[in-house]
Amino acid sequence: MTLALEHISMHYTLQDGTRITALKDISLELPNASFNMLVGKSGCGKTTLLRILAGLEKPDVGHISHTGPSIRNGIMFQTPRLLPWLTVWDNICLWKYGHGGSQKLARHYLQVFGLEHFRDAYPHQLSGGMAQRAALARTLSYEPTFLLLDEPFAALDYFTRQQLQDELMQQFADHPLTIFFITHDVAEAARLGQRIIIMENGRINGLLTNPSPYPRPVLNDRFALEKQIISLLQNK
Amino acid sequence: MWQIFKSFCIKCTMPACILLLWHLGTAWHWWDTYIVPSPVKVWNSLKELASSGLLLHHVGTSVLRVAAGFSIAAALALPCGILLGLCHRAHAFFYSLLEFFRNVPPLALLPMLILWFGIGETSKLCIVVLATFFPIFLNTLDGISRPDTSLLETGQVFGFSQFAVFWHIRLPMAIPCIFTGLRIGLGYSWRSLIGAEMIAASAGLGYMILDGEEMARPDIIVAGILTIGLLGVFADFLLTAIKRRSTLLQGGNQP
Repeated sequence: MTLALEHISMHYTLQDGTRITALKDISLELPNASFNMLVGKSGCGKTTLLRILAGLEKPDVGHISHTGPSIRNGIMFQTPRLLPWLTVWDNICLWKYGHGGSQKLARHYLQVFGLEHFRDAYPHQLSGGMAQRAALARTLSYEPTFLLLDEPFAALDYFTRQQLQDELMQQFADHPLTIFFITHDVAEAARLGQRIIIMENGRINGLLTNPSPYPRPVLNDRFALEKQIISLLQNK
Repeated sequence: MWQIFKSFCIKCTMPACILLLWHLGTAWHWWDTYIVPSPVKVWNSLKELASSGLLLHHVGTSVLRVAAGFSIAAALALPCGILLGLCHRAHAFFYSLLEFFRNVPPLALLPMLILWFGIGETSKLCIVVLATFFPIFLNTLDGISRPDTSLLETGQVFGFSQFAVFWHIRLPMAIPCIFTGLRIGLGYSWRSLIGAEMIAASAGLGYMILDGEEMARPDIIVAGILTIGLLGVFADFLLTAIKRRSTLLQGGNQP
């Protein structure tokens, strides 16, 4: 499955009539089983692009095409979006009311993400990191072929973020699928991505690649790549 | 167990203090016992009414009227609130009519209702239904029409159908609001019924209170008031018990 975005543009109109351009003529290809990181400053249009890719919004101009079998999108947002009246287990198996998903995988991820003891807990009883883990377990057990992640670890502390990054890399190494991961954290983009897409003011500013194999340790030699990303973000 | 006992004691402290003050006030003649009868006299009247079967008759009549009126109101208000909450155009269409009736006190309609349905049960039932409908309807409408859109989107993301989004996300999300509406509605049922029974009835707690006034028996009036209050507390207790058992009112989804 290869996804291609062709000449995508998107505008928003504010209540006072002001027209805001969110995306300007974006053309991009996401190859099959690739780990794509989209990095950019806040408000540069990253989430709008993800929402268009997820089919949650329609672009004003341009279209998305794909080759290969039909796509099953798995989306994880900045906040866990767990349903407060359901237990952790019921939240992880939420997809059973739609179509797709696997209980076997749900049990697997419940264990992988260390949530077995919180299976019957409610979301308000979980810490932020646990809630994000539950949300990630829910998204992965849906068996997506295209995983879209919108700054999923942004609100987490350093150690929990490292742990979840490791788990995500392990999952990608074990079961390669196309990942589109949004972040504003340059270090996260350099550590996780195979393809790092730099975004600035609604435009794609550059594309870098990181061929290091997974899983990647925290302290690998990635500083040169970080410097490259920063210079592209600063338009140097 | 200790926690339940402690909570019970805290809840009972204020009524016990009022009862004590009431007893001391009448015992030490702070006020005329005709204006406020002693608790002992009220208790004796209650026993007398209970042994003659009159209390059960009046309570039974009122409870049946409230149960019927509340059930009819809930059966009408819940689907109306859900439908109008889902369909903004229908809400806009019915808005003026609903606002008009919401602002008319049901008791103001009683003379017309008596004219149309006579002095029997129907007119009183209509009063209870009219008074109970709006709190349930408005809370249901509010809960359904103002969902957390990010949770609705979650359903969309997992390929839910429109019905599945409604049934598994939008409706459970509105349950705390609906439950609040039912609780308020139940209180309104009692208030409106007692009003209606005081105007046109031959049985019921409202009639018992009015009868007490006509017979110059303030003890019966106070006994009636206490019975109404206790029945209201018991009805609310039943609703709270339902809330505890409801899986949709668990976790962070509380009214």
